[in-house]
Amino acid sequence: MHRGVGLAAFDKEQLSQRFAELSSELSKTQVDNLQSQLTQFRTALSHFATTHRDSIRSDPAFRHAFQQMCSSIGVDPLAGPMKGGWWAEMLGMGDWQYELGVQIVDVCVSTRERNGGVIEMGELVRMVSKLRGVESGVITEEDVIRSIKTLQPLGAGYEVLDVGGGKKMVRSVVKELDADQAVILAEAQVEGGWIVEAILENRRGWTRERARAALENMLLRDGLCWLDSQDEHYGQVYWIPSAMRWDE
Amino acid sequence: MALSTHTTPSGFLLPSIHSAPPFFTEQPNQSTHAHLTEKWIHLILTYARHKRLFVLRVEDAEVPGGEWDEILRNERINRRILPQYLSSLMAIMVAKNLAVYEPSKQTRAVLLYWRLPEEWADVLHSWATATGQLNTILTFYEISDPPIQSPLSGIPIPLLRRAITILSRSNRAQIIGVADGEGVRFFVG
Repeated sequence: MHRGVGLAAFDKEQLSQRFAELSSELSKTQVDNLQSQLTQFRTALSHFATTHRDSIRSDPAFRHAFQQMCSSIGVDPLAGPMKGGWWAEMLGMGDWQYELGVQIVDVCVSTRERNGGVIEMGELVRMVSKLRGVESGVITEEDVIRSIKTLQPLGAGYEVLDVGGGKKMVRSVVKELDADQAVILAEAQVEGGWIVEAILENRRGWTRERARAALENMLLRDGLCWLDSQDEHYGQVYWIPSAMRWDE
Repeated sequence: MALSTHTTPSGFLLPSIHSAPPFFTEQPNQSTHAHLTEKWIHLILTYARHKRLFVLRVEDAEVPGGEWDEILRNERINRRILPQYLSSLMAIMVAKNLAVYEPSKQTRAVLLYWRLPEEWADVLHSWATATGQLNTILTFYEISDPPIQSPLSGIPIPLLRRAITILSRSNRAQIIGVADGEGVRFFVG
């Protein structure tokens, strides 16, 4: 009986060992296969990178198509442990992306005093483009949005906000824009930068109290708008710098 | 509606912020107030330098037709800076040593330092040297109102006196009493 157990045990051990060997052999084959596929892929990718690197940097339409391709095959060019990601490294996009990120931060920080940390997307694109000059190639809203995603780890609150009417704002301070403020921003955009309680009451059905509270908070607490107390019609009018168009 | 710069009849380029109606209202939010105040002060000093204006008065915001209208008012948007705001700006400039109340012990008028007294002292001494007037006695009037336009033309006497006092500390000038006023002698410096 003892011996029977002993033999069975020996057999079991041998069996599991053989299973282990077999399973690692299988894995090894798979791994070898995968490795050779990756090598092929990498070669093709290097070739692609060399051929199209300049186009991706300078031509927004090509860059857009490239990004579409990446997402359709499930590759995120920005992912990965390296700065900008593996793809970015292959295409030399790391530096380009990084440079754009720095310029976005530059514009947001330098306009923060004026607009309270919220800037209209169009104005941001315009100002970043000015910083870069013509030779660097055209920057699109899409480029900026993508770049802002990489800024999120900064923890400084960089975020794109959709305020309706096809308009986007970029927030660069940690303070969240509440829903009412987003509405106010959208309405101010329509008027070219100014807003009063009456507009919110008439167009959005707000109560006077709600409109006043929201506007006063934006003005006094958050520093997101300026007061004009000489308006001929309304007396007191609120101006939102991030919704105003500046020619400078 | 784009806010743009604008060139005044006297040839001064106004910044785009001057086209924004709220610029003319004193802001209740502290950081906005600080930001716009800085813009106003810069604008005032730059304009003063452009037109060689030395004095700013609260009255310039009260009564139209003065020399400061191009800055203190914007007819295109029907806005003007109110006397209370201007008075507050003047106080801030004095606190920052960019102006002084002149005469002292009142707060309705300031002498603007678009050039610091120390800088005026250097300009004054250079002018005296260049025009070969070292070691001669000059009256204050001869300096502030010379027959030929000079960098010192129009300089208010209190400011001139401050500049001379600075020069005297480094022995480059000495105030002298003359027949019916004050005079000065400049020395090599």
